[in-house]
Amino acid sequence: MHGVQRVRYSREVLEARKQREQAKLKEYLALTEEVLAKKKSGELNREAFDLTTRVLRLNPEFYTVWNYRRNILLHGIFPSSSPSEINDLLSDDLSMTIAFLKQHPKVYWIWNHRRWCLENVPDCPTDGDPHAWRQANWNKELFVVEKMLDADARNFLAWNYRRYVLASMTLPRSEESELAYTTRKIEANFSNFSAWHQRSKVLTSLWESGNLDPVKSREQEFDLVKNAMYTDPADQSVWIYHAWLIGRGDDAGLLRREIDAIQELLDEQPDSKWCMESLVRYKRLLLQNHTSILEEKERSELREECLRLLSQLKEYDPQRRRRYDELEESVRNT
Amino acid sequence: MATLPRLNIPLHVKYIQSLGENKDDLVYHLTAHLRMNAIYWGLTALCVMDHKDALNRDEMIEFVMSCWDEEAGGFGAHPDHDPHILPTLSAIQILTIQGARDRINVPKVTNFILSLQQPSGVFAGDVFGEIDTRFLFCAVLALSLLGQLDQLDVEKTVSYIRRCRNFDGGFGAVIGAESHAAQVFVCVGALAVLDRLDEIDQERLAFWLAERQLPNGGLNGRPEKLEDVCYSFWVLSALSILKKVSWIDADKLIEFIISAEDPEGGGIADRPGDQPDVFHTQFGVAGLSILGYPGLLDLDPVYCMPASVIESLGLRKDWEALPRRVA
Ligand SMILES: [Zn+2]
Repeated sequence: MHGVQRVRYSREVLEARKQREQAKLKEYLALTEEVLAKKKSGELNREAFDLTTRVLRLNPEFYTVWNYRRNILLHGIFPSSSPSEINDLLSDDLSMTIAFLKQHPKVYWIWNHRRWCLENVPDCPTDGDPHAWRQANWNKELFVVEKMLDADARNFLAWNYRRYVLASMTLPRSEESELAYTTRKIEANFSNFSAWHQRSKVLTSLWESGNLDPVKSREQEFDLVKNAMYTDPADQSVWIYHAWLIGRGDDAGLLRREIDAIQELLDEQPDSKWCMESLVRYKRLLLQNHTSILEEKERSELREECLRLLSQLKEYDPQRRRRYDELEESVRNT
Repeated sequence: MATLPRLNIPLHVKYIQSLGENKDDLVYHLTAHLRMNAIYWGLTALCVMDHKDALNRDEMIEFVMSCWDEEAGGFGAHPDHDPHILPTLSAIQILTIQGARDRINVPKVTNFILSLQQPSGVFAGDVFGEIDTRFLFCAVLALSLLGQLDQLDVEKTVSYIRRCRNFDGGFGAVIGAESHAAQVFVCVGALAVLDRLDEIDQERLAFWLAERQLPNGGLNGRPEKLEDVCYSFWVLSALSILKKVSWIDADKLIEFIISAEDPEGGGIADRPGDQPDVFHTQFGVAGLSILGYPGLLDLDPVYCMPASVIESLGLRKDWEALPRRVA
């Protein structure tokens, strides 16, 4: 159970509530018994189907009943239905589960049932395009998942589902438009790491396919992330994304440029843990990957700065001081 | 060192015992689809608190066996519920802890589990095919407990986990998904069982995990989210496999977990002031065990079962919890 406040009730109040609950409990148990009995005896008719609706309305986590419902459709109802009737039945289930999701946005079983519905939409027999129904459904689905992400921009089930919908669409949406979607999400809230994450995936794909110039686009990303860093330097989402842009640190010039930029921010915000942390990370990358182009004097300066930053970090972030101890050890040995 | 807050073990034992006595509660019946998992959580928490016998062994084994689906070869969460890999793993864990593995039809359940592997290497939860690295972990763990890992295509399995790895060092539920502490636990756990920790960017991941700790001591599951007791176990399990539990502040986390207990009725909640449940009670107690809390028994962080049970099966991996403190 998540986020349900503990309340102490008197024995009388509890007793009264139990009494009120008894009717509901009796109804639920009777329904459960009936649906499981029908399932056991292999009933696959409309009556059993309607019964699953009633049970799932009371308990959308009852996975066995979802399974039973799908089996009724597949083996009891679809065989004697026209494609258009099948499409209507699936549309009804999609509408029903929207209502469920509004109440239970994190129940896996509801999302699963939607997937199953979408994957079982039949070919459209009348229209010239056999995918017409499917495409209409996928478009609608993208709209639904956008509504879910408007309500909770970090719902990771919704994000996973979004990626699934995008990958399933018969007429794929352009990756550029997905990039624009993440821009909107990030601009609405810089600390939405889910959107930064999605952005890293979309960009990787765009760079690999050659649809976006990696050099130019990476520079734009540095601008975006810098803007976010200055807005809230304590927000770790932004720094994790920045570290992704830097990558393994193969480009010494880039490392130096970003070290200078972060140093500037640290001068303005002298207690910013994430500035210090990132400086240590990038200075260590310089030391590890580019030692041959560094003069001995620069090497020892970098080491000294890392050690100084690490001792400051221990002061500002004592919870993780053992990690900083270990990093000190490793800097001394480079 | 400052004195640690006291964990009220007798009260939590009573709380777990009382869970089976709520049969006239609607919520008890609305959560029937989690019954098998709930029994496993309750039993593991009791074992860690050294009160394994607080629940009746024979009744528990009979309940587990009443959920066996002979035709499919798997366990459901409750009698007459469909077989699924989650309750199947819980059933195997319960029977193993209770020393009743002889009740399991090993070839049948092995077939059921292997039949759920997809061409990509991930596992589905049941015949309807929802995929998730959680189910992959369940399969790997169950096969390992049954001594059937040699039947698994390890390379195919590991390759799916590899494709779920993100630049922050963490892992997601499916390819492309955001890193999440619970998914990190399942992926790191599966890799530990398969002896493939070389697939992990260990320094990066341990850093990401250490950053889950918030100023109040609690751990969150992803950047910029709220703390929750259940993450205590998921984050700590992965950290102990990476041997970096010391990278977070143990005393502060102990304080946070214990502050989420219900001082009157027993049990632990997701955070202070909330309603307790058996899930958070188990993961809170499990976290405390890894942190070396005095008076608790060792928990194996890979299998999330009593360490003594895993050791007696010869399955112990190379993890490191904090040393047990004396009260
Ligand atoms: Zn939780």
